Amino acid sequence: MGLRDDLDRFREVGEERREDLADFIQYGDLGQSRPGEINIPVKIVSLPEFEYDQHDKGGVGQGEDGTPDTGQPVGQPQPQPGDDDGEDGDPGEDGGEHEYYEMDPEEFAEELDEELGLDLDPKGKKVIEEKEGPFTDLTRSGPNSTLDFERMFKEGLKRKLAMDFDEEFLQELCKVEGIEPRDVFEWARGESLPVSMAWVEEAYSNIPDEERGKWASIEEVENNVERESVQQKIRREGIKHVPFRREDERYRHPEIIEEKEKNVVVVNIRDVSGSMREKKRELVERTFTPLDWYLQGKYDNAEFVYIAHDADAWEVERDEFFGIRSGGGTKISSAYELANQLLEEYPWSDWNRYVFAAGDSENSSNDTGERVIPLMEQIPANLHAYVETQPSGNAINATHAEELERHFGTDAEDVAVAYVNDEADVTDAIYEILSTESDDNE
Amino acid sequence: MSNSDRFRKQAIASDLEEPVEEARNLAEKLGLEPYPVKYWIIDYDEMNELIAYGGFQSRYPHWRWGMQYDKQQKQGQYGGGKAFEIVNNDNPAHAFLQESNTVADQKAVITHVEAHSDFFANNDWFGMFTGGQADEDQVNAAAMLERHARAIDEYMADPDIDRAEVEKWIDHCLSLEDNIDQHQVFSRRLDIDGPAHEELDEDLAEKLDELELSDEIKGEVFDEAWVEKLEGEDVAVNFPEEPQKDVLAFVREHGKQYDADAGRGVEMTEWQRDILDMMRAEAYYFAAQKMTKVMNEGWAAYWESTMMTDEAFAGDDEFLNYADHMAKVLASGGLNPYSLGMELWEYVENTTNRREVLEALLRVEGVSWRNLTEVIDFDEVLDGLEPPAAIETITPATLDSLEAVPDEWVDREALERARAGEIDVSKYPWKVLTYEGVARRHYSLVKRQNRGFLARVTQNELERIGRYLFDDARYSSVAEALEDVDFAAGWDRLFDVRESHNDVTFLDEFLTQEFITENNYFTYEHSQATGQFHVASDAAEDVKKKLLLQFTNFGKPTIAVYDGNYNNANELLLGHQYNGVMLDLGQAKETLKRIFELWGRPVNLLTIVKEIDEHDIEVAKRRNREPEPEEQGKLIRYNGETMTTEDVPWEEVEHLAADDVDYDTKPEEWLA
Repeated sequence: MGLRDDLDRFREVGEERREDLADFIQYGDLGQSRPGEINIPVKIVSLPEFEYDQHDKGGVGQGEDGTPDTGQPVGQPQPQPGDDDGEDGDPGEDGGEHEYYEMDPEEFAEELDEELGLDLDPKGKKVIEEKEGPFTDLTRSGPNSTLDFERMFKEGLKRKLAMDFDEEFLQELCKVEGIEPRDVFEWARGESLPVSMAWVEEAYSNIPDEERGKWASIEEVENNVERESVQQKIRREGIKHVPFRREDERYRHPEIIEEKEKNVVVVNIRDVSGSMREKKRELVERTFTPLDWYLQGKYDNAEFVYIAHDADAWEVERDEFFGIRSGGGTKISSAYELANQLLEEYPWSDWNRYVFAAGDSENSSNDTGERVIPLMEQIPANLHAYVETQPSGNAINATHAEELERHFGTDAEDVAVAYVNDEADVTDAIYEILSTESDDNE
Repeated sequence: MSNSDRFRKQAIASDLEEPVEEARNLAEKLGLEPYPVKYWIIDYDEMNELIAYGGFQSRYPHWRWGMQYDKQQKQGQYGGGKAFEIVNNDNPAHAFLQESNTVADQKAVITHVEAHSDFFANNDWFGMFTGGQADEDQVNAAAMLERHARAIDEYMADPDIDRAEVEKWIDHCLSLEDNIDQHQVFSRRLDIDGPAHEELDEDLAEKLDELELSDEIKGEVFDEAWVEKLEGEDVAVNFPEEPQKDVLAFVREHGKQYDADAGRGVEMTEWQRDILDMMRAEAYYFAAQKMTKVMNEGWAAYWESTMMTDEAFAGDDEFLNYADHMAKVLASGGLNPYSLGMELWEYVENTTNRREVLEALLRVEGVSWRNLTEVIDFDEVLDGLEPPAAIETITPATLDSLEAVPDEWVDREALERARAGEIDVSKYPWKVLTYEGVARRHYSLVKRQNRGFLARVTQNELERIGRYLFDDARYSSVAEALEDVDFAAGWDRLFDVRESHNDVTFLDEFLTQEFITENNYFTYEHSQATGQFHVASDAAEDVKKKLLLQFTNFGKPTIAVYDGNYNNANELLLGHQYNGVMLDLGQAKETLKRIFELWGRPVNLLTIVKEIDEHDIEVAKRRNREPEPEEQGKLIRYNGETMTTEDVPWEEVEHLAADDVDYDTKPEEWLA
């Protein structure tokens, strides 16, 4: 129970009941969304109930000074006092809102990936910062504060363990009846104790005479005298017995990790000449808008450049981009020339680039082969794409898309050509474009 | 809640102890009789949460609360809608105050809450929910809702029950939330006529068959009709006898759940029946609130204003804050139930007081309903209606003058205590008066904003009053007549009305031409020609009709069960009692799908729609003239897979068509 759960449930319902992305892109109202916030209508808003038809019902309003004249238009139907679930006491509640399931571009991109089976991997290019990673690099010298003490201690300990031995025990051994230093030495070696002959001889000679012959045999010593391991000894005597050597010192430095920003610039090019009527414009919008959202969702940092062209090209703002119509002829290369120029601000070394163009494949003679194609080859980008929208069927001199395909081939890794004749083709076109890019583009 | 939170809230709570106590005292002095109220201080988030949950802390798990909360958060961010208080219908009532409110706000809220509590305690419609219970004073809504919440939570946690199924089942029930019979006293299990012959337990039938009893023996124990059924003979049976408005109860008693695997309806499980019962109880509980919203909000606003402004419950320094508060509340967009309600209550008070005065004046020598407006000097009358200075202004210095005031207005005992210094009359002047005294003090007709009311009486009304007057005592002068006026008539009437009415009857009775014109109300309708809504009419009749449409039956179309054995196949037949306004067909179909899940067998809906020829619409657009729609009967049917809609002849839907009220207020030459 609880608000958290109920909010989650609400979100789930929104998720279940919102339009499929495919439906939304092809047929839905794209106008309710803003650049960073994608609003997808939810099919069933609240629980269905028997209700009056809103139009047939009409309503009651209250005028400010006097009553308005009959026939005057009234804004959106005003909230009526009978509306709402009526369980609480709040005044002035809104009725008649549309419910939308809000998505940010990241989520949109994820969902689209799933729905369309895409897998675009954004590449990091520009190094924006060198971060300090974990302190894993080691050097022999450095400031005291970066000394790896633990390491040094371990080395010392190892050394001590290697070199230390139980002196008292060996002294007792020297007291064995008839034992010679050589025997003690050999026994010690047999136990892997790092004792030197010289030490044994000295210890042997230091034993007072009365104590010689204290023990009958080595076994007796073993049975009666406790051996202390080095570890025990250290524990007993403290770590100051662990020797530190200069050659054990190690100083730590942080690893340098390069953070690469995943930047993308998307150039949208549109033919706005006379032949591009409303239906074609709408199809372009339905194709480009989701592409923009998708890339915005995949990359950390996305910038958009909008170019409109007829026989000339000029840069525009996003708001105007889909609506513009001019009367002139068509020369697609003008757009690519402008694009080339504008892209100088986004060097290929630092920016991922996508150049999308759309039109009805009409172009002035030879422009495609003589100027557009060389320009496309010249402008480095992750992907160049052309979307042909021609709902009226094939016109005779509309060959731009075909020519591109002929030149670059249908399997090109960085050029995609897609055909959109009506809404149903939109998602296929999007898939075609987004799945073209291969991993070799750097 | 952290300790500092707790302390802060406690501090606020103790500051408010005095206002809470005195507000209760004042309320009672004014004639209110509220349930006891428990006040709680909460913060902004808690307030939002409570509102989302309908004012109660414990509700069954459901996404609708999440949705409400989400909407509210957004409104708060973008709309500046600020929630001031919540109080729920319960005994004792619980009220929640937002900790960030100013003192003026809190006082306003407290007085407002007291009035709400009085409404809950006295309005008959709230009594409907408790009417069937042993202890009528016990509402205990919070406890009931919490029980439901826990029960449903348990069902959801039960490993044998699919949680998603529970959620879906609740959804289905909620679709029928408003399809209850809100005019009936709530009873848990409805005695709805089942089929004339009892439904056989299928299991039992099978078992008996297996036993292979001879007919003779069967005949000894079971009657013939029963045996016939066993033999599978069809006995056609139609029920209910009368159309049944409580659709929820009907499906609970006779519905089955649809089993998709089996492809048919099967008995509901216990948890399904239980949830149906719970949702239905809650629907009945909240019905009263839905049915009296305008009255209730208006009531609370009216008394809050009386207490805060007229009785200066808001201190001088708080007054500006209070004015601001009121302005915000009353200015909320659209048709505001607070302002509509409050305006109507004031209207009831004024018309009652006016009638009382006129009845007195009509008995003055030489005055009749024909000449009253010429002969009477209304300014003189208004002067005579002013409360005596001793009542109007009460300070420690003026206490003595209360000696001369008639007994019925002064609480002598309190006056003594005030003189002894035990009561602070500079803060609480009303304490030394009686109910009649404060009524006198706040007499509506002499208030600045009401001064024209008396003189505005129409000739028609004068005639009406005059004709019903008995010709008894005559007064020799206006002054003499005014002495007999009952100054508490207005308030007394308010208390009566708040007991017996609901929004529909309230509007029906008190929404007059005068009121509508004064307050600038108008109707609007949709035009086929322009595709937009336009102002249609400002005639009182029209506005009233339209408003009543919003309130009758929760502003929703009336749907009733007409047959539980439709097509002799146990199909459900619902009928839309058509009053001239069509159903939203899209919604209706979606709702039918839900009902199908609760009935288990095909569901049908008979309705009447208005159809307009495409061609006629074109013509209408061109000529800016509304096209004439044709009414057509429709039968919509859902069998679990397909939804069908077919035309039916008028005879089949005739019984559904009402012809008394025409809700269409479009004038003849509307947009031309």
